[in-house]
Amino acid sequence: MTSPMNRRSFLRSTAAAGLAAGLAPSLAFAQDAPLGITLVLPSPLGDVGWGRALADGLEPVKAAYGDKVKVTILENIMEGPDADRIMTKSVADGNKFLVAGSFGYQNGALQIARRNADVSVLHASGFMVAPNFTPFAAKNFEGTYLLGMAAAAVSKTGKLGSVSAFAIPELITSINAFAMGAQAINPAAEVAVVWVNSWFDPAKEQEAAKALIAQGCDVIFSNAQDTPSVVDVCEKSGAYVCNLNSSMKAYAATKYLGCAATDWSPFFLEAVNAHFDGSFKGHNAFLGTADKVEKVIDWSADIPADAMEKIKAKEAGIISGEAPVFAGPISRQDGSEGVAAGAALKDEEIVAMDWHVEGVTTPLPN
Amino acid sequence: MLLSRYQLVRRSSASRRVAILAPITALLVTIVLNFVLYIAMGKAPAAVFYAMLVEPVVSWSSFSEVLLKMTPLLLIAQGLAIGFRANVINIGAEGQFILGAIFAASIPVWVPQATGGWIWPAMLLLGGIGGALWAVVPAFWRVRLNASEILVTLMMSLIATQLLAYLLVGPWKDPMGFNFPQSVMFQLDATLPLIIPGTRVNVALILALVWTLGCWVYMQRSFQGYKLIVGGLAPHATAYAGFSEGRAVWISLLIGGFAAGLAGAAEVAGPIGQLQRSVASGYGYSAIIVAYLGGLNPIGILFSSLLIAILYIGGDNAMVSTELPIAAVRVFQGSLLVCYLAAITLVRYRIVRVVTTEARA
Amino acid sequence: MPAPLLSLRGLTKTYGTVRANRGIDLEVAQGSIHAILGENGAGKSTLMKLIYGVETPDAGEVIWQGNPVRLTSPAEARRQGIGMVFQHFSLFETLTVVENISLIVPGRKAELAARIRELGQEYGLEVEPRAHVHSLSVGERQRVEIIRCLMTDPRLLILDEPTSVLPPQSVTRLFQTLTRLRDRGVSILFISHKLEEIRSICDRATILRDGQVTGNIDPREHDAHDLAKMMIGRDMPAPRPAIAREPGEIRLELAGLDYRPDDPFAQSLSKISLRLHAGEILGIAGVSGNGQAELARLISGETTRPAAADEIRMMGKSVGHLGAAARRKLGFAFVPEERLGRGAVPEMSLADNSLLTAHRFGLVQRGLINRSREADFTARCIKDYDVRTPGPQAEAGALSGGNLQKFIVGREIMLAPKILFVSQPTWGVDIGAATAIRRRMVDLRNDGVAVLIISEEIEELFEICDRIQVIREGRLSPSLNVAETRVEDIGRYMIGAEERAGI
Repeated sequence: MTSPMNRRSFLRSTAAAGLAAGLAPSLAFAQDAPLGITLVLPSPLGDVGWGRALADGLEPVKAAYGDKVKVTILENIMEGPDADRIMTKSVADGNKFLVAGSFGYQNGALQIARRNADVSVLHASGFMVAPNFTPFAAKNFEGTYLLGMAAAAVSKTGKLGSVSAFAIPELITSINAFAMGAQAINPAAEVAVVWVNSWFDPAKEQEAAKALIAQGCDVIFSNAQDTPSVVDVCEKSGAYVCNLNSSMKAYAATKYLGCAATDWSPFFLEAVNAHFDGSFKGHNAFLGTADKVEKVIDWSADIPADAMEKIKAKEAGIISGEAPVFAGPISRQDGSEGVAAGAALKDEEIVAMDWHVEGVTTPLPN
Repeated sequence: MLLSRYQLVRRSSASRRVAILAPITALLVTIVLNFVLYIAMGKAPAAVFYAMLVEPVVSWSSFSEVLLKMTPLLLIAQGLAIGFRANVINIGAEGQFILGAIFAASIPVWVPQATGGWIWPAMLLLGGIGGALWAVVPAFWRVRLNASEILVTLMMSLIATQLLAYLLVGPWKDPMGFNFPQSVMFQLDATLPLIIPGTRVNVALILALVWTLGCWVYMQRSFQGYKLIVGGLAPHATAYAGFSEGRAVWISLLIGGFAAGLAGAAEVAGPIGQLQRSVASGYGYSAIIVAYLGGLNPIGILFSSLLIAILYIGGDNAMVSTELPIAAVRVFQGSLLVCYLAAITLVRYRIVRVVTTEARA
Repeated sequence: MPAPLLSLRGLTKTYGTVRANRGIDLEVAQGSIHAILGENGAGKSTLMKLIYGVETPDAGEVIWQGNPVRLTSPAEARRQGIGMVFQHFSLFETLTVVENISLIVPGRKAELAARIRELGQEYGLEVEPRAHVHSLSVGERQRVEIIRCLMTDPRLLILDEPTSVLPPQSVTRLFQTLTRLRDRGVSILFISHKLEEIRSICDRATILRDGQVTGNIDPREHDAHDLAKMMIGRDMPAPRPAIAREPGEIRLELAGLDYRPDDPFAQSLSKISLRLHAGEILGIAGVSGNGQAELARLISGETTRPAAADEIRMMGKSVGHLGAAARRKLGFAFVPEERLGRGAVPEMSLADNSLLTAHRFGLVQRGLINRSREADFTARCIKDYDVRTPGPQAEAGALSGGNLQKFIVGREIMLAPKILFVSQPTWGVDIGAATAIRRRMVDLRNDGVAVLIISEEIEELFEICDRIQVIREGRLSPSLNVAETRVEDIGRYMIGAEERAGI
């Protein structure tokens, strides 16, 4: 509980200061009060998916700091003016550490960071950086490359599908890597994509999965969906399925191929440590397998041993840096050269990737 | 043999005393009901009620958010109430709101470099026109084909949602926006001037208040408004007097559409600052509740929009400050509305205990 | 002498400052037909509401079959064996006749429909059980109400002006029915202002004036003049003699009007022709439901037919395609059959109801309502036409039927029309008010206004009309000069050329 004094003094200071930058609220008792950490999520918090991965990532923080931190999770907060208000209110209540769990919170969260120099903000999937504002994303493509290899190994038709949320670079790279991994096993493998334009829409996701399976896809990649709908449909339809963020094996006992899981706890712990010792500094946090954030778990037993060997070898190459995912030569969807032989995409090129590789059959939306 | 039961009897005139007591009683009953809920959930009821009911009114930063939230509700509900009194049931304000947002956004999307004080007023005007145009379809169908405006306005809302989605993933997508379905951020001149420094309250609040006054004059004093009311109360009297039913439908839907479109424009040019999916956030539907809660009376709607805005902001406050789950917030909001509706019934009706004599052998 | 079926002792009911009933004593004997006589506002309706459980008395006692009872609802009254047919009907317009009846009377619809037909034939109350109530005329709706009451097998039947919508032949038949009911031990409370009827059928008559009982007599021992005097407290005004005058130019002409309505239960009209001149009163007689409602809507402009503009001409202009407002601009005014919800908006004040048709007379300026002129106009109407109401701000729905009719007639006459069309001018209106309304219409005729009247009361038509045409099954009879016609001739046109049993 925040004390009323806390709230009142903050209100007085914000009102008086007219939100002038640099005027930090004088909170003499801040040393005694626990650090309020607020996680804002766009979807209802379920047992699985994106929101669950973020929430679980804060558990080690709680374990490490005990009474010194207090974590509040605000779920199902619509992007837009409501989210802006709720984040502002949370900071006004004295919470100094904000995890904005969706790209759509970028504008509001960034303004809060600019107005409150003593607040540290982590923002998911974004591209803006400020002194106290860190955008973070996982190198999901490292995991999906490996899942793509496994998918091609178990597929009979060579046709793979992906149900995807939004055609943003983060998800485009996941699909591209999935396709490239598949082609490493079966050069003829193809990936079809359905964009549902939502993080959370069980009905649309189910429809999309069924449509892909009807087209002959026998492995489906559920790309950034916060519900197990796709996984569930695949189990019932007999298609293999894999996904991101957190394991959904419980929803597909027999057809679960694996999960490109994200474990945010190393990143969160480091950021909270930095906040406490005053060294928090906004930077672009792009975290992969080598950072122990990205890791494929719950591999299916159906993957042939020889394929598994190749997968493990590739994983080791990614961690060591010897075998990056987006190493040339890579062809674009239309056959033109994407990455020249011998070259590799840099991080800043990957986060802006807006083209599909050859083998992804669906064109990008416009 | 005596039998006793209770029944509602209409009062010969509305009770002023009950009219004042009703909202207070409703609030008290709601608090008691939810008090039990919070105890069961292990929350401190006092803190929850403070965040939900007191803070929105006493904290300036919260109250400014109440005013911001109230603005679109007030604009839309006033417009809808005119139609509802004429028995033209426009439940598609959500779609008209979205069209208003789209029309308003056309300026910053097409001419993002433009500057000048004309931009935001032009956006608001365009928004109103967009909303009204979206209402032309149901009006035309109702007048010409006798199609229910209830269904058509609702269907037009679904179309509006799809149109918005198409524009955002297609032609109006921000080229620098990493493929996220949203437009460019509007330039400064394409956002509404703030009227209270340090808050997000903008000129739309003044517009909404002026609009309220206009609606009051229109419905209380104008002959045109009178004709609409006659149409709602006694359609046969409309035909008898020779008032055009078609004209009433057109006026009702165009006013409702204009108001909703204006609100949509004010929302994108105000707190949002760009066209995005969250434009369609349900204001058009909430405004229906606001209109009826305000008794379809312009002054009543002023208060009901304030009440609903307080409930929204208070609910958010309780979520943030006391970690009340969003479901419990909805329970509180819903139970308050139910209690209020039950209580205002007693303004017009009284409960009578009836003793029946069984005289027949 | 057996104990009375119903006794009232000192019944009192006050609405605000209005004392509607003051210490009413009344005894209704078993198996009698008992008349309640009184002007509108005398307290008849209130008294009936107290007996039927719609209202509860402030003081006094109701004794039913020897036991004191508290009748707190109509349902309770019906359980005790009291049935009532209201002046304003309580039927759901969107339901059919049999559906309306099944709301109160248990039983399968097919059986109920059969009983409806049976009772209809027995009492001359024919009505199609499957017809929707909204498509029925006022007269037909009353038949449904009477049948509905009879189906609950009441001990006491309250009838509020039951004969006003029936043709003369059917009145006789209804009286036979009532007599038969009385002989079976059912008592009847009979509200009427038709003094001759009361004298011919009632055993007792209780006369009310200003909420009090002013007489309790055997009507067969008094003549109509005496009864009227007891009722209004003074001598009856004599009817205004019509001045003999030459009719002027044609103001309204229907030329071979044919009309087929969309509603399958509505009456089609065929080759309707009439000519209405300035300075005459033309009456349209006929049993309710023979096309009067459809004809009225066509003349008023509530139904327009762009394809047949020439079939209706007003002041020499084709108007069939024009709406009601355009016809009113030509000098047409209209008092419809339904007062609540058509001629007036019940939830609105009288002042706002003035605006309904009088808005062109300076009550609206630059689109805004001029409240003081609206109130002036209304106050003048209330005063000139003797509308009994607290004032212009009273809700129209709170007025009694007769007072509201006086208001609507007054409002329409104040528009200074060239054609005045009145449908059922005195239906449900007390004798004093009815006389006043008829005098007004004769005055207008004498002043050169063309007056058209639809009425089911032949006596009324004979009293004021110059000519009468009879409507039956959507066709209009030739014009009959009142001076050369007998009531029986009209009656024959009303029921068709050959006499049919049961009509």
